[in-house]
Amino acid sequence: MDPTLSVSKGVFVFNGASERSKQKGRRKSSKKVVDVSSLLGKEITDQPYYQTYKKTWQSLKADIERIHEEHCTKTMTEIMEFIKSSYENNMDNILPTAALLTGINQPDHHQQFKTLSDHIQDEHFGACTILEGRDCPNLKATIEAMVSGFIDGADNDEDDDEDDHNKKSLRRGQYTMHVLESWYKTEYPDGKKTLVVILPGFECFNIQNLQDFILIMHSYCNRIPLVLVLGVATAISALHSSLPYHVTSRMQLKIFQLESALTGLNNIIEEVLLSPYYKFHLSGKSFTFLTDTFLFYDFSIHGFVQGVKYCLMEHFHQGNAFSLCDDYFDSLEKISKLSHEDFEMIRQLPSFRPYVESFKDEPKEIIALLTDDEHLKKTLPGLLKECHIFLLLFRCFLEFFTVLVHDLPKAPVGRLRREVYSRCVSSKITELAEFKECWQMIGFLSKTEFVTKLQAAQDQTLKFCKENLSDDSISVECKEVVNSKFEKMDELLERVINAGMEATSKSSQEQTDLSKLSRRELKEKLLIMSKTEKPISEFIKSLNETLNYIKSEIILKHLLPFKKEGPPLLELFVFSDINSIRSHIVGAPRAALHTALNDPHHYLQCSCCEISATDDLLSTMPDICIAYKLHLESGRLINLYDWLQAFRYVVEPNHDDESEDVDPQIQARFTRAVAELQFLGYIKSTKRKTDHVTRLTW
Amino acid sequence: MSIANVLEIARKYPCREQIITELNDLIGSPSEPLPNAIYVYGHTGTGKTAIVTEFLQSLPIKSKILSCIECYTSKLLYEHVLNSFYSHTVSKSNNYTPFVKCESMHGFIESLRQLPADSSYIICLEDAERLRDMDINILPTVLRLQEMTGLNICTILISQLPFDKFYLKTGLVEVQTIFFPQYTKAETQTILGNDFVNVKKRLASKLDNNEWSKILDDLESDFYDNYLNIFLNVFYRACRDFPELRSISRDCFQVYVEPVLNGTIDRNDVSKLWRNISKPLSAALTAVYMRMDSAAENQSNKALEDNQSFKRISQSVELPYYAKYLLIAAYLASHNAANQDKRLFVKNHGKQKKRLQTVNAQAKVTEKMQTNLGPKSFTVDRLLAIFYAILDEKVGLTCNLLSQISSLVHLKFLSFVSGEGNLMEGSARLQCTVGLDFVSHIGRIVGFNVMQYLCDFM
Repeated sequence: MDPTLSVSKGVFVFNGASERSKQKGRRKSSKKVVDVSSLLGKEITDQPYYQTYKKTWQSLKADIERIHEEHCTKTMTEIMEFIKSSYENNMDNILPTAALLTGINQPDHHQQFKTLSDHIQDEHFGACTILEGRDCPNLKATIEAMVSGFIDGADNDEDDDEDDHNKKSLRRGQYTMHVLESWYKTEYPDGKKTLVVILPGFECFNIQNLQDFILIMHSYCNRIPLVLVLGVATAISALHSSLPYHVTSRMQLKIFQLESALTGLNNIIEEVLLSPYYKFHLSGKSFTFLTDTFLFYDFSIHGFVQGVKYCLMEHFHQGNAFSLCDDYFDSLEKISKLSHEDFEMIRQLPSFRPYVESFKDEPKEIIALLTDDEHLKKTLPGLLKECHIFLLLFRCFLEFFTVLVHDLPKAPVGRLRREVYSRCVSSKITELAEFKECWQMIGFLSKTEFVTKLQAAQDQTLKFCKENLSDDSISVECKEVVNSKFEKMDELLERVINAGMEATSKSSQEQTDLSKLSRRELKEKLLIMSKTEKPISEFIKSLNETLNYIKSEIILKHLLPFKKEGPPLLELFVFSDINSIRSHIVGAPRAALHTALNDPHHYLQCSCCEISATDDLLSTMPDICIAYKLHLESGRLINLYDWLQAFRYVVEPNHDDESEDVDPQIQARFTRAVAELQFLGYIKSTKRKTDHVTRLTW
Repeated sequence: MSIANVLEIARKYPCREQIITELNDLIGSPSEPLPNAIYVYGHTGTGKTAIVTEFLQSLPIKSKILSCIECYTSKLLYEHVLNSFYSHTVSKSNNYTPFVKCESMHGFIESLRQLPADSSYIICLEDAERLRDMDINILPTVLRLQEMTGLNICTILISQLPFDKFYLKTGLVEVQTIFFPQYTKAETQTILGNDFVNVKKRLASKLDNNEWSKILDDLESDFYDNYLNIFLNVFYRACRDFPELRSISRDCFQVYVEPVLNGTIDRNDVSKLWRNISKPLSAALTAVYMRMDSAAENQSNKALEDNQSFKRISQSVELPYYAKYLLIAAYLASHNAANQDKRLFVKNHGKQKKRLQTVNAQAKVTEKMQTNLGPKSFTVDRLLAIFYAILDEKVGLTCNLLSQISSLVHLKFLSFVSGEGNLMEGSARLQCTVGLDFVSHIGRIVGFNVMQYLCDFM
């Protein structure tokens, strides 16, 4: 396909390989070429920022897919085993059925079912067809879809190129089970190939249809090895409640469980988004926003990944300066490609200002930084390196901190790495009440608990460093920092281990006999005792020392939020434009409609409709807006005649009120506006009162 | 048909000698005129289809056995019968075209008439009760095919209903009926006992231990009879469906025989064996008709037991946070009267006047409880209003939220009562289809007391 310059110039028709190429592409996904740039012009795709974006996104995508694959392999192989062995000793003539519990988000699972079907086809022990509920409104359509799925699917597989067009395909009505049977006997006379029918959304099927369908499949399963795979989104009980006994008795049901969407998300976040390999980071707010959308609304991993992709696009689209958000050594090369505008952009970053101000005493340096591109070019590598080290250390110590807090009772900061991460990134963790609670709880731990916990945290961090850090200069520097901190910590820990539990009490000498005191004296005495500090054991003391060290040296130094506390130029690596993703990812149809109708200038950007207050009404606005604004002023029932008069008054303010008849043109415009409002669902006609309509929104 | 053949079939299907002889008397000799139609009925799992099929296959008569469920159009019925009588097979060489195109009963009769008249034909229709839902002329015609075609042709209808249920206003010709009674307990035991060889074979294929297979081979049918006796004593009350009994007995036998195989219990020690099997049997009794995987592994058994409890089921359904609240809101909307909403969800709802009339009207009678009467329908607006009232935080009315409603409908937790097409207009009415247990469980997860908001429990 030729690249086309822009979408705005027109719609382009590509003749030729339409249907066929699509079908082939679907079957052989390996052949498919991912051509992201087909819509964008060369002047965009050649930009450094676009190339960095493309590189980052493709490796991100590949990683996510790999993880996805890895985590469903187990279930997939189990299902494959079941399908393979299903007809080995099927003596009672029962339809083997696999029920796959998928969890509620159905669109995501289509991909998984497709993978399953590809697997089955690749291993050549079965043919596969996927039936969607929407394609099967009745039994006839269901059978036809299934049979054509098998027959046509196999044909496409075999004769790839030439005689596809010459082949007479069958008429719709010819796809019956009988035809399938005779087709099977000619295609696979040895009967070795299993035919697998996959229904990804069991709930979407008409129950009566499904029952008949299963009965028919069962009646053929002694002649054709058929296997049914049901995707169940809710629970097995749904299957039992919708299929009566005379149907279930014909099935051999085996239940499989896919990993839940939640664990899927956690895996993706921990192994991909939080991997130090990626330099792109999400700010606390956008990160929470994306995870919240997932947890609160839809459980859709696909949606989450697309959200991340959107953030990625927004981030890189800000300008070429953001192409520096890449591997450190790659970004060094990119600095030379930057233009004057890009340097200006870097200068305008919010964190650049404090950096410049830090050279208070060297005005020359400030001027050079602000005006001389060459000078900035020289300082950039150092700044970038600082950022990289900061991010890497953040990640290492996040590991440490997570182990420290994840198993505390009720886990105030969070159990999972992503929860801890989002808290650390969005605000100073030490100032949170949850953190204080955590710290207190750690302080209450017994000696052995504390020591093992700390050691586990250290081990985890070191393990993380070993697995993820390479030998380049940045990683080495990071390792040094980590090691030096841990050495100091080991010293402190040593002291904790050796510390005795006895309280080194000074006040014990004045042990007076409490019983001999009068009531008042006793009261005073108790008051004094409560005011004097409790004797502190050596253990507590050393424990507190260790905790303070961790707090001041690790948390306050390295787990800083991605805000102004971070090193300069951190914005290049952190995407924080929460408002844009919120408005773009989550659609608010009602709000958008209201804005469009109430303030058309917002979308039209025309000079005529600009309004200062929201309830302004201008005659230049589109008719529907005028009608809408007028209807906002009325009550539950709207008198059409009054409405028309008001409309007319707005549209033609100079018109004399005397004349009774309305200009037919205005009436027509008004009628159309009302019809459009009705179409949008704001009003509907009512029978309660003549010439009135009901308002439907408030 | 020769006596030997009849005996062969009778041996294969024990306890059915009488019926098989009856069948033989009716259609056994191909040279004699066949009856017009035979109606075979009886409960599921009594061997109707199996015996008739076996019988027809051993007859030297052209016959076609067809399930009516499969004939979702009458065209399929006609064409399949004709294909088979004219010995025509659809294949790739003839591009899967049928022998003749036949869309109506008229064409069907015409084509049948052209068959050679000197041989006999039998059409056997399974699940014949479906014939009533097909074209109106099919049922009367298939019963009078002899008359219409002049052939020696017979129609056998197999169904679970008695023939009375087929009567039409115009009347039907009388047919020969054969009733398959349900097997008695003794008969069931005999039939299951005949299965012993198969059971052994099946079990042996699962075991890879040679010694064990040898012990298994040595087991006598007395041992199996004992087992079946125990088994039927437990199960015959709960379930009389033969295939079900057979499949459960196979699974349980594996557990039963295990201690004998590994030598912990002597094979003649019946009481010890009984004690060993009684627990798995009662566990299997709770799962009867469920047809879960019968691999009889501990794990799946456990899953089975877990699935029994309601808690487990609702836990296995993971819903997004707002979807949970939407579901609760839907339940409340379905089980509270709309005029109570203000009292339930608005903080300052004013004082309620107590009048004897209302007090009497609200007297709690179980029959009158909203939760027992079944769900009422509600509009999307009301659903959203309640949703916002019970949710503490403020959420925007976004696409994501609205799409949750439709995904709940997809999952069959909600269903449309009317106006599925005009969701936009707001006149569509929904209904919540889940029960109180389920909803209060979900409520417990999100920390929301559903009972507090139900008028019935106030």
